[in-house]
Amino acid sequence: MQELADRFARYVSHRRPQAESVQVDSIARIHGGASRETYRLRLRYHERKREVERRLILRRDPPSSLIETDRSHEFRAYQAFHGTAVPVPEPLWLEEDPQWLERPFFVMEEVQGCDASLKGLSEGPASAHREQIGREKWRILGLIARTDPRRLGEIPDEVSPERCWERELSHWERVIETDSLGPEPVVQATLRRLRRNPPPPAQRIAVVHGDYRSGNFLYDTSGQIRAILDWEMWHAGDPLEDLAWSLNLLWSWPDRERVGRLLPREEAIAVWERSSGLRAAPEALLWWELFTCVKSLAIWISSAREYADAKSTDPMLALVGWIIHGMQERITLELLGRSK
Amino acid sequence: MKPEVPKTLQLLGTKLLFEIAPRLADDYGQKTASIIGGLLFTAAEEWDRAASRRFVENRELRALFADAVPLVRSAGLRTRLASAAEETDEDLRVSALEQSNATLRSLLIDLHAHVETLQSEEALRMDERIWDELRASVERRAISFWPL
Repeated sequence: MQELADRFARYVSHRRPQAESVQVDSIARIHGGASRETYRLRLRYHERKREVERRLILRRDPPSSLIETDRSHEFRAYQAFHGTAVPVPEPLWLEEDPQWLERPFFVMEEVQGCDASLKGLSEGPASAHREQIGREKWRILGLIARTDPRRLGEIPDEVSPERCWERELSHWERVIETDSLGPEPVVQATLRRLRRNPPPPAQRIAVVHGDYRSGNFLYDTSGQIRAILDWEMWHAGDPLEDLAWSLNLLWSWPDRERVGRLLPREEAIAVWERSSGLRAAPEALLWWELFTCVKSLAIWISSAREYADAKSTDPMLALVGWIIHGMQERITLELLGRSK
Repeated sequence: MKPEVPKTLQLLGTKLLFEIAPRLADDYGQKTASIIGGLLFTAAEEWDRAASRRFVENRELRALFADAVPLVRSAGLRTRLASAAEETDEDLRVSALEQSNATLRSLLIDLHAHVETLQSEEALRMDERIWDELRASVERRAISFWPL
């Protein structure tokens, strides 16, 4: 870990030639996030006879990643939303050259004094404010659903309201086809149903976060959401995709009363509808919830593949392959009306 | 092997979860060790049932295929189903059972897709039966205990 700290200090000296006596300490890896390695660290240096101390987050590409996205894609989202009503950490540097830390990375300011854990939403000081956090969570998601993707550099002409569902479904279908370690009859039956019954056209094409769930935002003990994280899967699409993903029972398992461990489902939907100005028609939402199951299973299937091929030795990947995959299949059967 | 493998894995998991992980200095190490401990509990459960659940599922699938043959319109699929229905598992090693299970589940996907294109009462009943089997297959794989 000290070697990484030293190398990062050399990088900072390169980025800020005016900085003197650059030191990096208190570096620690943060658990979770199989798509990138995440580290917390303290940076200290002198500049113009002033001592500067900054707490930073370093997100480095892993040797192999579950979700194959360009880190500049994620960085662009932080740049676009920083300073807006959608709270995100301040993005600082994006570095594609592997000479500094062996792999590309980007750096953000740390939002301090916060928690992202699911556990903290149901126990601990913040749990007293979980309804407030929930209302804030779906209100912010409504704001994301109002965001024109062109603000982030996406070309919206590439995806039409009529066909955006197909682009997403085909993408995750290909992932399943490529990465499955065995036949997936539940997933295949769900894919056939989704193709037989397409959703209505999107009410608008907007920014879709792609992984908007409890666990991917920072909250404090007063019940404020301080930052929305993990933008690596953002894209232009139907905002119902994000709403459906946020309602996945997996994020509250085994709690069925409060989606994301925060709010009753109907209240979460109502908050989102008010904030986004869109309607979550039940049939359309069900399509996207089933899509959520397919996408989620595709990610768990990829996890199992990464681990089986020893591209990653993170035991979390084995855990999702062994356990989370089965939980998501049970949720899928429930949504299809096939559970007893 | 004595002590029995499931018991041994459970004790190893307990050691890692409750004694070793809490002593690790950093949060990342603690959480990673805890997940490995939890996975040892899962492996203990799977060890005991690994052959049984595959053997039972293969038997159920073959019985389902035998009943599906008369209503299938595609000659090629009918032949594959009839052939699979007549097979039995002679080699009871988990790897061999898993291989035949994968072949049978792949055939189940083809059968299900075909049945969905049919309109008869028999086809609807077969569709329901396939969903029953899918539900059972998910239940067979469910983990009863996760210590974290």
